[in-house]
Amino acid sequence: MLSLQRRAMLAGSAGLLAAPSIARAQPVKPRLTAISQWSAGSDGAAITALGKKFEERGGVWQHSPVPGFTTDMMNKLRAQIMSGDPPACSQLKGPEIAAWSKIAPTVDLDAIVAAAGYEKVVSPDLARLHKPGGKWAALPLQVYRTNALYLSKRALDRAKADKLPTTWAEFNALAEKMKSGGVAHPVANGGARPDDGQKFEAALAGISPTAYRAAIMQLDAKALNGPEVRAAFAQVRKIADWMDPNTAAQHYSTHLAPFIAGDMGMMIQGGWAQGVLLNAGFKLDDFIIAPGPTDNGKPVFLLNADAFIFWQRKEADLQAGQKLMAELVMDPAIQTMYSQITGSIPVRSDVDLSGPGWSDGQRETASTLKGAIAADQAVLSLAHNMAQENGMTAAMIDVITEFVKNRAITPEQGAKRLAEAVEGAR
Amino acid sequence: MTARSALAGSRRLAEYLVIWVPLLLSAGHVVLFTAWTTWMSFTPSTLLPVNGWVGWRNYTSVLGTRNWQIAFDNLLLFGAGFVILTALTGLLLAILLDQRMRGENLLRSIFLYPMAVSFVVTGTVWSWLLNPGMGIQKLVNDWGWTGFRFDWLIDRDMAIWTIVIAGIWQSSGFAMALFLAGLRSVDGDLIKAAQIDGAGPIRTYTRVILPTLWPIAVAVLVILLQFAIKTFDLVRALTGGGPGLATQLPALVVYDFMFQRGHIGRGSAAAVLMLLTLLFVLVPYGGWKIYQQRRAARG
Repeated sequence: MLSLQRRAMLAGSAGLLAAPSIARAQPVKPRLTAISQWSAGSDGAAITALGKKFEERGGVWQHSPVPGFTTDMMNKLRAQIMSGDPPACSQLKGPEIAAWSKIAPTVDLDAIVAAAGYEKVVSPDLARLHKPGGKWAALPLQVYRTNALYLSKRALDRAKADKLPTTWAEFNALAEKMKSGGVAHPVANGGARPDDGQKFEAALAGISPTAYRAAIMQLDAKALNGPEVRAAFAQVRKIADWMDPNTAAQHYSTHLAPFIAGDMGMMIQGGWAQGVLLNAGFKLDDFIIAPGPTDNGKPVFLLNADAFIFWQRKEADLQAGQKLMAELVMDPAIQTMYSQITGSIPVRSDVDLSGPGWSDGQRETASTLKGAIAADQAVLSLAHNMAQENGMTAAMIDVITEFVKNRAITPEQGAKRLAEAVEGAR
Repeated sequence: MTARSALAGSRRLAEYLVIWVPLLLSAGHVVLFTAWTTWMSFTPSTLLPVNGWVGWRNYTSVLGTRNWQIAFDNLLLFGAGFVILTALTGLLLAILLDQRMRGENLLRSIFLYPMAVSFVVTGTVWSWLLNPGMGIQKLVNDWGWTGFRFDWLIDRDMAIWTIVIAGIWQSSGFAMALFLAGLRSVDGDLIKAAQIDGAGPIRTYTRVILPTLWPIAVAVLVILLQFAIKTFDLVRALTGGGPGLATQLPALVVYDFMFQRGHIGRGSAAAVLMLLTLLFVLVPYGGWKIYQQRRAARG
């Protein structure tokens, strides 16, 4: 074993010595093999634009999108890793970065990140996720807020509301006013699991970001059994009662038309909903994007970030491609281009969003993120797989989705079941 | 050795040569993968398959989850409902079609046609039809019967029956085709004899024709039951496993553990449990077949 390691090290150092001479003799054309689930819509357009930039810099762009759910992309990634042929770069996010970096070697990006000064402009919670074992292995590309509050202007008119809700009490009061003003369903909602999860995380983080951090991110048993979690379940029950009971398994986007028409009042959604609304032909004047309710007066931001992870490859052209890709992903101009297509905000906190390519919603999102980081109230989204590994997330969402669909479960029982599910999945 | 037996011997050799390739492939596909999945169910595999031994831990943890318990209860309900009702619908359609009516070919094609539609399409279309906000309930409400309720899709206790409905629509044509073939193969003399003895049409069916359909009925039930046990795409498209977890089925749980939760070990354990359920059906059926053959050989 020892001799083998020594031999490998010798070979490695010989390769290192040889590398510059090879590079001089034959300049390699950077090439990148990449897989992601982004194939269509604004996501597809954004990654295609990124590929164009890669090609402009002299690279060969080989992106193979795997359309469908994130799991389909992961299955392809798993198959490629098992056959010893991982892509040079793939989409991956949250704690899955640490989990997957254990099963195949990743590229050490520390030098490139340091050269770009990237660490200084990324929020610490986010940076930690991309540094399994303390070394940068993946790079976040764009940030979404999952507790954005979308309000229908027509529904606000019907409720004769003159003020946007900032706390959960005001949210509840507005929903009641909407109901009595003739809005059929004050809350628009999809029937998928993340939809239910998003209601819960927005409730708990808005009630107490500290409790959210302890219960959901650190799985602290005391916090899980604490009063804030019960209060969050109680708030979710209220939200569920204002939703259209006929939603079944429909996608949230089926309710966008009644939402704009004022038959549904509010949506708790991520920044992507702005892109979907505009894509569906609605105008920015039809709706308002506001920060999610927060009971302590300071902004709360539920973070969701897409990222690329880089897998070790021996080929010189792929290594050059990885370096070029890493530089592009961290580039403020590229992040601007990307976010302007998808409706997200840049990961870099130093990008200026006052230009014409940004919407008011995006500007407000970015300033809320700054405020939330300053107040230590930027937390990681559970429903979008940022807070826990997929197994734990699924066990927790099971409880939440059952609670939303079953009025017979009390908030106390919901909190108890959540704590049990966490114990069971540990 | 006579020339004749030599010829028979070489023919047998050729038969073996022809059969061993598919035999090896089937063995590889069925036996090896089953053995491998079974092995995986005893390993600590998470994102990637790894070797190791954790004993029954994956099984106890799968059996302890609510998802599996709900899925298994649902399988019993759905399996019984789907198999019995589909077979009965198919039998009824077959008997009606058996009345030598005009347009039989057209009707047979219509009833058989859902079989050609994939379960995903069936599920999606029925999810619209059964949605109380836009499907059958809304239609009847708009006609004036405002009190009419048909909201099983969003009712946790009844949602599993929406999958039964869609499944019946999809598969009863198939059962009908098999039963119809059986009805047509009943000896005409037998029916005539019954008629001469003065049996009416209902009596002729219940006493003379249906008893001869017994072997076909068993085949239909077994085929439908293995449809039921492996059902996945229909639920995915129709209810997404919801409301909440109300329409989970074992195949969904296997997929969920393996690919969503990154737990190949537990997913494999759930898959092996599914296989055992299937064996629970197939082994008695196989035994019954052998018993039938022995009796036929003796008789």
